[in-house]
Amino acid sequence: MTAPKKKRGELEVPERFKLTIDHDLCKRCKRCVTECSYRAIAFLEGKIKPLGGCVACGRCVNMCPAHAIEVHQIPSQFPPHANFNERVRRAIMSQASTGGVLLTSCGTDIAYPVMFDEMLLDAAQVTNPSIDPLRETVETVAYLGGRKGRLEISDEGRIYLGGDPAPMVAMDMPIMIGHISLGSVSYNAQKALLMAAKELNILAGSGEGGLHPDFHPFADNVISEIASGRFGVTGESLKRTAGVEIKIGQGAKPGHGGHLPGEKVSALISQTRMIPLGTDALSPYPHHDIYSIEDLQQLISVVKESVEYKIPVGVKIAAVHNIGAIASGVVRAGADFITIDGFRGGTGSTPRIIRDHVGLPIEVAISVVDQRLTQEGLRNRVTVCAGGSIRSSADMVKAIALGADVIMTCTAALIAMGCRVCQQCHRGICSWGITTQREELVARLDPDVAAARVVRLFRSWNEELKEIMGAMGIDSVESLVGNRDRLRYFGPNSKIAEIMGVKHVGEGWG
Amino acid sequence: MPGTTCNVSANRDLAYFNHGAERYDTPAIYGATRPPGLTHQDNGCGIAGCISVGTGCISGEKIVLMLETMGERENGLGAGYAAYGLFPERRDDYCLQFLFDHEKAKEGVEESLNSTGTIVKDERVYTRPVKTMKPPFPFVWRYFFRPNPKHEWGGRTDLSDDDFIVQLTMHINGSISGAICVSSGKDMAVFKGNGYSHEIAQFYDLPRYSGKMWISHSRFPTNSPAWWGGAHPMSILDWAVCHNGEITSYGVNRKLVEMNGYRCTVLTDTEVVTYIWDLLVRKHGLPIPAAAFAMAPWYHVDIRRLDPESACLATSIRSTYKEALLNGPFSIVVGRREPEVTMIALADRKKLRPLLVGRSPDGKMVYSASEECAVRVVEPNAETWTPNAGSPMIAQVGKGIVRMGTEHPFVGVKQ
Repeated sequence: MTAPKKKRGELEVPERFKLTIDHDLCKRCKRCVTECSYRAIAFLEGKIKPLGGCVACGRCVNMCPAHAIEVHQIPSQFPPHANFNERVRRAIMSQASTGGVLLTSCGTDIAYPVMFDEMLLDAAQVTNPSIDPLRETVETVAYLGGRKGRLEISDEGRIYLGGDPAPMVAMDMPIMIGHISLGSVSYNAQKALLMAAKELNILAGSGEGGLHPDFHPFADNVISEIASGRFGVTGESLKRTAGVEIKIGQGAKPGHGGHLPGEKVSALISQTRMIPLGTDALSPYPHHDIYSIEDLQQLISVVKESVEYKIPVGVKIAAVHNIGAIASGVVRAGADFITIDGFRGGTGSTPRIIRDHVGLPIEVAISVVDQRLTQEGLRNRVTVCAGGSIRSSADMVKAIALGADVIMTCTAALIAMGCRVCQQCHRGICSWGITTQREELVARLDPDVAAARVVRLFRSWNEELKEIMGAMGIDSVESLVGNRDRLRYFGPNSKIAEIMGVKHVGEGWG
Repeated sequence: MPGTTCNVSANRDLAYFNHGAERYDTPAIYGATRPPGLTHQDNGCGIAGCISVGTGCISGEKIVLMLETMGERENGLGAGYAAYGLFPERRDDYCLQFLFDHEKAKEGVEESLNSTGTIVKDERVYTRPVKTMKPPFPFVWRYFFRPNPKHEWGGRTDLSDDDFIVQLTMHINGSISGAICVSSGKDMAVFKGNGYSHEIAQFYDLPRYSGKMWISHSRFPTNSPAWWGGAHPMSILDWAVCHNGEITSYGVNRKLVEMNGYRCTVLTDTEVVTYIWDLLVRKHGLPIPAAAFAMAPWYHVDIRRLDPESACLATSIRSTYKEALLNGPFSIVVGRREPEVTMIALADRKKLRPLLVGRSPDGKMVYSASEECAVRVVEPNAETWTPNAGSPMIAQVGKGIVRMGTEHPFVGVKQ
C-alpha cells in the first residue's frame, strides 16, 4: 500500500496533517491500516508509517487499541503572507495541478462573522416569573404546514373545521433533520437519521432521490424532496410521506443543483436513482420547468393535486440577497412552508467557490423573511423552517427568536453519528461509513447506535430549549417565534442589528 | 349620568392609609404625547370590575372603592376606569374621548373628524384640579361622532363603520402630536391618567357618573415613563381592557395584530391584547370562550385528553392563532358593549397573576378583581371563586353569569 503517485508536472501541495505513531505503545496490529480509507497509513518494514494524505478524520486515532496514534496540524510550511494566505496558495497549487473546479463538502470553513454568537437572550426578572421546566409545563410542539390566518365561522356561528383545512404535521420539537440524500450518505446513515426522526417524532428530509423501499416504515416522519433532477419522484412516493418539499436551492450551493460524484453512485444508488453505475449525478441547476415564480406556482399546484391536498407542500430556497421578496413570492405561489438555507449550510459535494462566497447568513435571512412576510400580512399563512449551520441549541433558540418556526440541521446530526467534519464527503470514502457507498465502509456505521446518538443529541437540545424559554418566562415555543424583542445584539456592526430588527445590548423597552 | 353627588373623598382616609408613603419622584410625566424613545412598556397592577347584570346602574363611587382598596398594587403612576352604559340618549353615536396637550392637537383632531363625519355633539369632560397630582394635566374632550355614510379610508370604501373608526383613531393617535384617543366605543368612555386611583377618580369626579358596568385598573409600572396615554384601560371601539401582567410574547402578538391592519401607537402589551380581542371576536367572529382559548390555550398533552371533536377544534385554534397566545403572567378584565354589555375575566394558563370573581347574594351584581378585599369591601356577603387558569368568566347584562370560568373550555362554543 502506497500513497497515490503524483502525475507528471503536478505541484506537490504540502501536507496539512501529520500522523505520529508512538512505536513503544504500538502493538503492530495494523488496525489503523485497515481503518484508514484515505490510505494515509501503512505497515512498512515492520513498522506503522504515515504515507501522507491524512485528512484528520480521526478514525485511526479512535480505533487504535493502544492509543498510539496522534494527528497534528502541521504548522504552515509557507512563507508568511497575510494576503496570499496559505488557503489561497493551496487553492492555486491544486488548480495548477488539476485544471478543475475545486470540489469540497460540508459548510464553509472560512471564519465569517457568526451573528448567532453576537446575540444575547433575555431572561425574566421580578416583573414576571421565570418558569422551571422541571416542575412546570413548557411546550415545544411545532407544526409544519400552511395556515389560513383565521378560523371559518358558519352563518349559524359554528366554528367550521370541515372543507379544506390546511394540512399540518405536528412535531414534538421544533427541529427538522435536513435533507440528506441516500447517495450523499450511506444506507446505514440515512437509516439512522430516519430512525432517530421516528423515535423523536420529528421530521427528516429524504434528500434528492426518493425514499428507499426499506425506509417506507419511516415515511410518516419524512419530507420527500422534489429537486431539479426529479430523481425518485412519483405520485405514489410523494403521497407516502408526511410532506413534500420542492428544492429550489441549497445554502451551500445557491444556484446549483445536486451533485453526486460518480464515486458514490454504487449499485444501490444506481438502482434508486435509475442512473448508470459510477456516473456523476449532476442535477440541473434550475428546475427546467421553473424559470419564473408563476412556473413555481404551477408546480406547487400540480404537487398539491397529486398528494390530494392531504400533506403540506413547501419550497426550499437558498438564502440570497433578495430573500425577503423571494420568500413573499413563494408564499403567494401557494407554499405551505418555506425552508430557508443559509450560506454556511452543509453539503455532500459542492464547488468550493460557491460554498465559500455565495449567499446570505441564515440569521439575517430568517429575520428579513419574518419581517417581510409580517409586513405583507402573510406570516400567519406559512411555516418558516430555517437551517444553514445550526450548531447548538443556542443557535436554535436564536434562530427561532429571529423568526423561524422550525429549525433544520444536518451537520450536527452527522457529527453525533461520528462525522469529524473533515470536508471529504465528496470523495465518497468516508472512514466513518457516513458519506460513502463502499460496503465495507458503510458496515462500520451501526444504524441503531448512530440513531441513539442523534436521539440523545436532539433530546438534549430540546431540554435546553425548554430551560432557556423557561428563563425567558415563555412556556410555549410559538411565543418565541420572531420574538426579536427578547434578543439583543452584542457585536461590532449595529447596522446588521438594525437589519435584523434586533436592539443593541443596553437598550431596554423605552 | 350626572346627578349622583356622592363624594369620593369620603374614602380619603383609606386612601391616605394606603398611599401615605412618599410618592416616588418621576423626572418627567407625559400627557397625551407619547414619551420619546418609548418602545414598549409593562406593568404590575391591580384590576377590578363590576357589572350590574339586572336593570340597575352602578355609581362610579363603587368601583373607586374597589380599586383603591387594593392600594398596595399601585404606585401612583397611572390609573383608569372604563364605564359602560353612560350615554343612553346617544347610544348609537361613537363616543370619542380624547386627551389633549394643547389646542393645536384639538384643532387637528376636529379637522380629521369633520372631514370624515359629523360631530353630533362635543363637550369638555369635567375635570377638577387635584392638589396631590403633578402636572401636566391634559384636557379631556368628548365627541359624539357619526362617520359619513359613504366613508373612504386609504382608497377603501368597503370598511364597516367599526373598521373605519378603528382606522381613524389609529391614524389620529399615530399622527397628531399631543392628542390621544382614549376610547372610541358607543355608550362608553374611558377615564384615565397619571396618578393614584383615588386621584384619578377625583380628577374626573367619577361619582358623577353611573353605568351598567365599570372596569378599572391601577398601575405599578416597573420601568416605563409616567404617561397619561399609557394608563389603562386600553380601549378600541367598545372594547376596554384592564391588564395586570407582563406579556413575554409581546413581539409575536404584535405581529399578529399588525398583519391584520392594526397600528400600535401606545406600545403596551395591553394595547395588543385589546386589538387581539377585537380581531378574534369582532372581525373573525369567534365565540368569546374560543378567543380566550386562543390567548390562553390548554397544553397539548391536555388537549389529547379531550373528546376528538374538541381536540380537533383546540388544535385548530392553537395552530391557526398561535401568534395570539399570550405568554407570561396576566390577568385581565375586559369590557365590551356589543351585543350587550359584557364583562370577561381571564387569567393566564399558569395562573401566575391573581384573579377572583364574585357574585352578590341576589345575583344582580358580578365582580372581578385582583384581590378578594376589593369585592368584600363593596359586597361583604358575596359568593366568590377563582376562575380556572385560562378559563374566562363571562357576565352579561340581561343574562347574568354566562360562564363561571370553571367549565370545559368549549362550553358555549358551537363546533
